[in-house]
Amino acid sequence: MDLDLNVRKEGDHSVLEVAGEIDVYTAPKLREQLIELVSDGSYHIVVDLEKVDFLDSTGLGVLVGGLKRVRNHDGSLQLVCTQEKILKIFRITGLTKVFPIHSSVGDAISAPAE
Amino acid sequence: MDAVAGVGPVTVRLAFPPEPRLLGTVRLVVGIVARKTGMGAEGIEDLKVAVSETCAVAVGDLTRAGVRDPIEIDLVEGPDRLGIEIRDRAPAHVQDPGGPGDGDVDDRELGLALVGALVDDLKTSTMEDGGNRTSFWLRRGPELLDPATGGLSLDPLGLPDDLPPPLT
Repeated sequence: MDLDLNVRKEGDHSVLEVAGEIDVYTAPKLREQLIELVSDGSYHIVVDLEKVDFLDSTGLGVLVGGLKRVRNHDGSLQLVCTQEKILKIFRITGLTKVFPIHSSVGDAISAPAE
Repeated sequence: MDAVAGVGPVTVRLAFPPEPRLLGTVRLVVGIVARKTGMGAEGIEDLKVAVSETCAVAVGDLTRAGVRDPIEIDLVEGPDRLGIEIRDRAPAHVQDPGGPGDGDVDDRELGLALVGALVDDLKTSTMEDGGNRTSFWLRRGPELLDPATGGLSLDPLGLPDDLPPPLT
């Protein structure tokens, strides 16, 4: 089990593509990547979860932490996800009200800042 | 055999050391067992989340307490549901000295809330001689029953008869 992370720039946004399983073992890797992005001045981040097979509460915590970090810089953190099993986790925990969740990276980038 | 979660005798028992890297393997095995009972895809995903979250809490507690005793998982196939019992030897309520995780989110509370939303009849208790027991069950769904038998469809999985005794 591993977590693959790939970062690319699209205009003002940094797109972080995540593939694999996000749990208590792999979430620290995602946390470090988000911290690094913000430290490098990327305050508008799109996290693409389309290739994520599993997400637990530790992963949710990391994403919330990332959101707080970019908001400290008046930035944004948006998610891309169409997988029902992952969306269900966000719905149950009420985090659909916290994160803008889009069906594609293009939609996320073109969405108005909240 | 032991009875678990009021469902029936133990069908499959797993034991693994409290290491976070093994949670993916636990999810894989639990998913395979659930699939063999005929559980649907959504139920399997719910089960994997519930078991993984519960075990992650146990792994954290055991690690902080410096306890290496294995975590045990019993899966019990009932006529229309799958029962799960998870046992660990962590001292009750071992708190993370670092407090809530990233972003001031209490991952532990979030995880337990998630489990409570995904499963039925969630029960947690402290075992008489120490450690914690968590049990719950998930419905397999009427469409999942084996039409030939009207119910069970789990293969024996080739499990040995000499499974280790429970922690209790």
